[in-house]
Amino acid sequence: MKCKRCRRAEAAVELPSHHAAFCPDCFFIFFRRQVTEGIRKLRLLAPEDRVLVCVSGGKDSLVLWDVLMDEGYETDGLHIDLGIDGYSDRSKGKVLAYAASRGKTPIVVELAKEGIPIPEAARCVRMQECSICGTVKRYFFNRIAAEGKFTVVATGHNLDDETARLLGNLLHWQRGHLVRQHPSLPEEEGGLVRKVKPLWRVSEMETAAYGFLKGIDYVTEECPLSFDATSLVYKEALSRIEDRMPGTRIVFYQGFLDPSNPLRNGPWAAPAADAAPMPGDAPVVDTMRATEVDAGKNGGAPQACASCGAPTYAETCSFCRLKERVRKARSLRAAKVSR
Amino acid sequence: MYNEFMITVRLSQKKKELELPGPRRVMDLLADAGVRPTTVIVTQGKKLLTKDHRVEDGATIDVTSVVSGG
Repeated sequence: MKCKRCRRAEAAVELPSHHAAFCPDCFFIFFRRQVTEGIRKLRLLAPEDRVLVCVSGGKDSLVLWDVLMDEGYETDGLHIDLGIDGYSDRSKGKVLAYAASRGKTPIVVELAKEGIPIPEAARCVRMQECSICGTVKRYFFNRIAAEGKFTVVATGHNLDDETARLLGNLLHWQRGHLVRQHPSLPEEEGGLVRKVKPLWRVSEMETAAYGFLKGIDYVTEECPLSFDATSLVYKEALSRIEDRMPGTRIVFYQGFLDPSNPLRNGPWAAPAADAAPMPGDAPVVDTMRATEVDAGKNGGAPQACASCGAPTYAETCSFCRLKERVRKARSLRAAKVSR
Repeated sequence: MYNEFMITVRLSQKKKELELPGPRRVMDLLADAGVRPTTVIVTQGKKLLTKDHRVEDGATIDVTSVVSGG
């Protein structure tokens, strides 16, 4: 199969959703154009932005960092070491190696040192690991961005992630979450830094192909704690539809983002009381904004968390409340052991 | 073990390795391995293979899932 663009080289990547197949060089051009077009269409980034790129060590975040650097944005990487035996060390190793190859030193937050490694925290408070992970990550994304005077936080969520989240929110009619779902979450009063998802137009397969062809050494193993994540069920359903009807995913998401979509505007857009996560849905919710902002939907500006100073509508932020629950559970366990 | 009359298919995430008869197209090898083609990339050394690429006997290909969870 020949490349549909240059018509000379052998194709390496087939994209049925675009009725196209590309050789590596033409695919690089196509992929970067998809990302920059996604940024331009939704005005996700400006040339003067200081971008904090959240890098897990997986394909999407490293590819995002790579493309943003190549496009000339001022970026720094932020890696959260989740404290998961083996997996976290391997993920961090990939981030450090990639960063070094680009002459960068990423900011690293180690949750074990912060007193809240994910597996132990989940055991202590008897919550889903993915739910805790989301809360903790969002807290540090925002805190590090605010402290470092970054103008925007960028994450590697791709088209598959966003459509899986959209399907989950639709199936459960999560009105509050639907209204907020967007590749750009604006800066909010009180210190919530703007968040963007520049890979919203590209699929997982495309980021994997780009990463491989660019020689980016990313971690291919999945997080051992996410094996039963609900988002995987939605992804598989959408993937089977995409197999039969290529291009459905992007039509689904672009239609949702259309400003005239009544799900985003009109009576539907009023804050609903259904924003609490459904069982098993925690990974697909922007908890920091959802819980903190919903808590204050009756009016009033966010205030500084009494414990850490982060923006919150409650007295203490969700991260500090979680940390306190973990601390209490640890004390209780220690007391039981000493008895 | 290297077998010049078979194709070695390495499924890294499943920590599994299959020996399948060749020469055959990537999509046929994936079907035999029970893998949906749109959920993986298939590579041979530094080369990314399209699903209609014909793989010769004695070759080793790597199948890597692109689906990330959580």
